[in-house]
Amino acid sequence: MGKLESSPDVYRFSEHYLPWHAHITAVTVAPEARRLGIGKLLTEQLEVAADAADAWFVDLFVRVSNHKAIAFYKSMGYSVFRVVKDYYGEHSTDPTLSSEDAYDMRKPMKRDVKGEHVREDGEKHEVDPSDVW
Amino acid sequence: MSSYRYGRPALKSSVDVQLQTAFSDGNWNTVIRLAAKRAATLKDPYYEAIKMCAESQLDGTAQKCGVLVAIDDFVKSKKTPDLDTIELYEWACRDFFDYEVEYADTLGPLRARWAKANPGSPLALQCLQACLEKWDLVSAQQIATSLDKAYANTADRRYMFWSITLTFLLSISPQCTDASRKVYSLLAVRQLERAADLTENSAKLEPTDRGLLTEEEICLYFRVLLSHGTKEEFVSRLKSPKLGAISQLKEGRKLLFCEGLNALETWGEWELIYNFCREALTFGLEGTTSPFFVCDLQIWRKFASSASKVTDSDSALSEVQAILKRYIELKDKASAMYKKNLSLALLETTFRLPATTLNPAHDNLGLTPRVVQLGLFLDQYFERLSAFDDIKGYVAELSFEEIKTLMEGVLPKLLDENADKPRKTVLHALQCKLRYLLTTCPQTLSPQTSVANGEAQKPYQCRFCTSPASLPCEGCLRTLITDASKSYQQINGDKEILDSIPRLDKDPRLDLALVMGTSLLKLSGLRPRTPDAGHSLWQDVNPGQFLQAVLLLDAQLKETHGDTELRLLLVQLYLLLGCASYAYQLWTPLDIKRTIQDSLSPLFFDRISSLSPGLFQGTRPLMEPLRSFYNHNLDDRSPVRIWDAFAAGSYTSILDMTEYDGNLRRSCTVMMTLVEERRATRCYGGKIDVEIEEHPLAENINDDTTLVNKTDYGPFPNLESVHGPPIHEYLRLGPGLSNERSHLAFLSEQYLDLLHYKPPKDYKPSKASEAALRDREYTLETLSRLSNSLTDFLHQPATPTRLTTPETTYYTVLSLLSAALLIALSTPRSDPVPKTLSLLSKSIKSAFASLRMSFFTLPHADEHTNRHLPSACLHLTEMPHLAAIRDTALAIKHSAAFVLSFHEKELARDRSGRSGLHRDVISEMKVLAELAGKALVEVKGCVHRLKEALAEAGWLDRLLGLVFAEGDGHDGNGREEDVGRVVEEVVGGRALTEEWAGKVVESWREGVKGWGMVRME
Ligand SMILES: CC(C)(COP(=O)(O)OP(=O)(O)OC[C@H]1O[C@@H](n2cnc3c(N)ncnc32)[C@H](O)[C@@H]1OP(=O)(O)O)[C@@H](O)C(=O)NCCC(=O)NCCS
Repeated sequence: MGKLESSPDVYRFSEHYLPWHAHITAVTVAPEARRLGIGKLLTEQLEVAADAADAWFVDLFVRVSNHKAIAFYKSMGYSVFRVVKDYYGEHSTDPTLSSEDAYDMRKPMKRDVKGEHVREDGEKHEVDPSDVW
Repeated sequence: MSSYRYGRPALKSSVDVQLQTAFSDGNWNTVIRLAAKRAATLKDPYYEAIKMCAESQLDGTAQKCGVLVAIDDFVKSKKTPDLDTIELYEWACRDFFDYEVEYADTLGPLRARWAKANPGSPLALQCLQACLEKWDLVSAQQIATSLDKAYANTADRRYMFWSITLTFLLSISPQCTDASRKVYSLLAVRQLERAADLTENSAKLEPTDRGLLTEEEICLYFRVLLSHGTKEEFVSRLKSPKLGAISQLKEGRKLLFCEGLNALETWGEWELIYNFCREALTFGLEGTTSPFFVCDLQIWRKFASSASKVTDSDSALSEVQAILKRYIELKDKASAMYKKNLSLALLETTFRLPATTLNPAHDNLGLTPRVVQLGLFLDQYFERLSAFDDIKGYVAELSFEEIKTLMEGVLPKLLDENADKPRKTVLHALQCKLRYLLTTCPQTLSPQTSVANGEAQKPYQCRFCTSPASLPCEGCLRTLITDASKSYQQINGDKEILDSIPRLDKDPRLDLALVMGTSLLKLSGLRPRTPDAGHSLWQDVNPGQFLQAVLLLDAQLKETHGDTELRLLLVQLYLLLGCASYAYQLWTPLDIKRTIQDSLSPLFFDRISSLSPGLFQGTRPLMEPLRSFYNHNLDDRSPVRIWDAFAAGSYTSILDMTEYDGNLRRSCTVMMTLVEERRATRCYGGKIDVEIEEHPLAENINDDTTLVNKTDYGPFPNLESVHGPPIHEYLRLGPGLSNERSHLAFLSEQYLDLLHYKPPKDYKPSKASEAALRDREYTLETLSRLSNSLTDFLHQPATPTRLTTPETTYYTVLSLLSAALLIALSTPRSDPVPKTLSLLSKSIKSAFASLRMSFFTLPHADEHTNRHLPSACLHLTEMPHLAAIRDTALAIKHSAAFVLSFHEKELARDRSGRSGLHRDVISEMKVLAELAGKALVEVKGCVHRLKEALAEAGWLDRLLGLVFAEGDGHDGNGREEDVGRVVEEVVGGRALTEEWAGKVVESWREGVKGWGMVRME
């Protein structure tokens, strides 16, 4: 469901460079077993691993229309870091739209004592999919 | 072929640069020349091996065989080549494994020999891995045993358990000879037993000791015991103070406990289950770790159900209640997951208590503890997606008085007047689902005292609405549709509710639509298509209501297009309706991938070539994803990634993966994939590359193989109770996949392969008559085998329920044909033709005649309700029947042609005419051929007529007329019309219905177009 990674070194000087962090690739709980704390359990385990590996933060992408997942991540201390325009190829709820934005959400880990890798107004920072990798 | 894994091996570093370069560049001629030189000067056999290896890369057959001969020499001479040579050889014959070369007879033993000689080398491990990946269990077991010896009493315990696991796997594998099976079984058990004793008898075990230490090791022991030991041994160990389930549980290991309970359940050992559960749950309360660790729902279920089955069940059940009560006192500390488990456990326990304990006063109020518990549960969980599934089993157990109290007293009071609207809507959707569930429960009906005239089909009285009824009560279904639709409209008209939907667990409109849709299906008269069902869908089903259901659910999918259960339901409905291309459009976005393909693909692909062969003509090969899944997973003989499980020391996973892999290789879905593609290919005169028996995916499948059906119907919405069949049985084109049907399909394809066999063009045997004799013998043998096998499978007790009527006819005719051909070809011209031939021929004719009759003279079942149904529709939903006629006709035609061409060939070969066939045989075959020819003309004519009919104008109006049939209320009082109006409102009016009807008709046209191109010869 997740992995530890950083941007390839060639991007080190880019403003979109990502330092050592954990990335949640996918968390899915069977619909009938939701709201029982299972998603939280899984995510916390990844956070433990991230802290153990001295990661700066944990991040993930989520559709802006996925209210439930956004509420879920927010409840666990994640916040929006930036908006990736047209990240998804189709829209999940509106078939007339051909794409959908993603929130790049983050939660700082122990290493990021000063909260350098999160921001409060992340919703206002828009980037193109080509800026994320 | 698995050559992807083989990179070109590196040559030993002592080899000179020139040769190294030539080898890595693939300059084989240079390699041969240089290696020969080095071999001569250095006298090192390694260079011989390099030379042979290079030769094998050239085109000539003789050179290729050099390596094989060398390997064979090694195997026979019991000599051990060095590992570099083995690597070279293995690479050189990488393309031959599983075909010409058995790994277990060649490189496996060489690797085993090498590893035995060098068990301490890290490369021995590589040998083990190589043998495992080729699934050569014999060699792998030998290597593992050597490794175990070499590393005995070291801290790496895996060697010991690899050896035991492999010994066990070998003992249950077909690779093991019957003679040694017992030895290996004993060996595995004994080794584990010794280890178990060591554990039991030592105060403390070190990792270097040969006892059982980890959870995986202990579970391996119990798995082996379960398979090879006695029940008494298993039970006694399960109770043991150190290795037993409870002591393991105390160490935080739950797997053994769960597996142990499952085993005990299969033996019906309720006392033991009860005692184990009681001990575990009591320990939970007293233990130091989280008390909820043991609070799995499965454990509670087993506890309660075993308590109800033990001798002194009254006190057992009180004990269950007492323990549960103590847990409930702690509930506030539990996480959400365990809280819910406890609530469910409470329900389960309450429902397992005898009714007398629950309701001593026998009052009829209906507010029994069972109903109270359901109310309490729902009070907490009614908004949850799983609420309905959590309680439906319990609700179906209630008495009618209880039901009435629940539905009319308890549920409406869950929310008060001021509750917010979205919650009220969710609750109402749940109530509708429960109301539907109850229409499938017999306790909602009571026997009628007097059956009025004309009500013979409704022998009961519905206790809800008091009208005469059968199950389900139609009156209640109609009321339910109206109710649900009101709620539906209300949601659509209320912005507050609409805005809240994304935050709800599920869009309540989806539930309401499912209730309305399934109610309409039931009202339409749809029933499971068992072999005794009518010949046409419309013989059972009222078209108006059926189409309303489809329309309504289709409209809902537009709203909630991400919902899998609704999508699957619609896929099935459109297949039933004969709209395969539209069903395919709905199917594709499900994007079913990887392992679940095996269990879900039958939901779309089963019988698809007979429904709509045209689908196979698309730009992308229809079944490609499925085929590549199997190729990827079954190409190697070993279970995918089995080495990972070995490396991780996950012994139970090794066993599970092996079992899964074994089932996958015997999957009915694999057979379906092969057969559907072949049938479609033949429809369009395509070339079938390989005979089905030779197909790598059918390798190892013979009559004795039990083919397994793993179709998963779990993702379907299922509002039905256990008292009736689940919904998917109503929706299928016929009985699901089965061992019997898969075998019959496999055999029938083999029969067709025999008929269609053509020798390669350059095949010119030098002794023509000997070759002809051999061919004849082979043909007769095959026919005899197929005839026997087909008859066997047709006569198995379950077979009649596994096939549709047309399928039964098709396979019956094939079995008769194979028997007839056997007689036709084996009777010497001079002998009288046995009477059996004409009997067989007669049976073929009569079976075929009724197959045709039942299709071409499909009646309208009920002239009254069906009078708007265009007659083309009768056939459009029955294309698999038409396919069976075509297939049967072609099989007859080609069988006759086979006999006649045999005769011609014999005449040409032997001018005396003595080896030809009897005149009566020839004339019988001609009669059959003519019959088949006529039928094929009929089939063609039918397709043509359908095409013409669909080209006529006015289809949309006709369909609309059917959907919203005006003025012919079924029950004479217009209630049918009310339902029609309701549907019209829900789907958003006629314009949208017209658009939908357009899609249906278009899909029919596409299907018939595909049929129009099907070859009839
Ligand atoms: C997102 C998801 C993984 C959450 O899993 P879950 O097991 O249901 O979540 P949890 O029970 O652990 O929830 C923890 C907390 O998150 C919040 N939360 C979770 N689901 C929520 C929802 N539907 N609405 C509001 N808050 C929610 C709550 O605060 C919850 O705590 P609470 O139940 O005590 O109030 C699950 O909904 C899911 O699988 N969704 C589909 C897949 C998906 O979208 N994944 C995310 C994309 S990367």
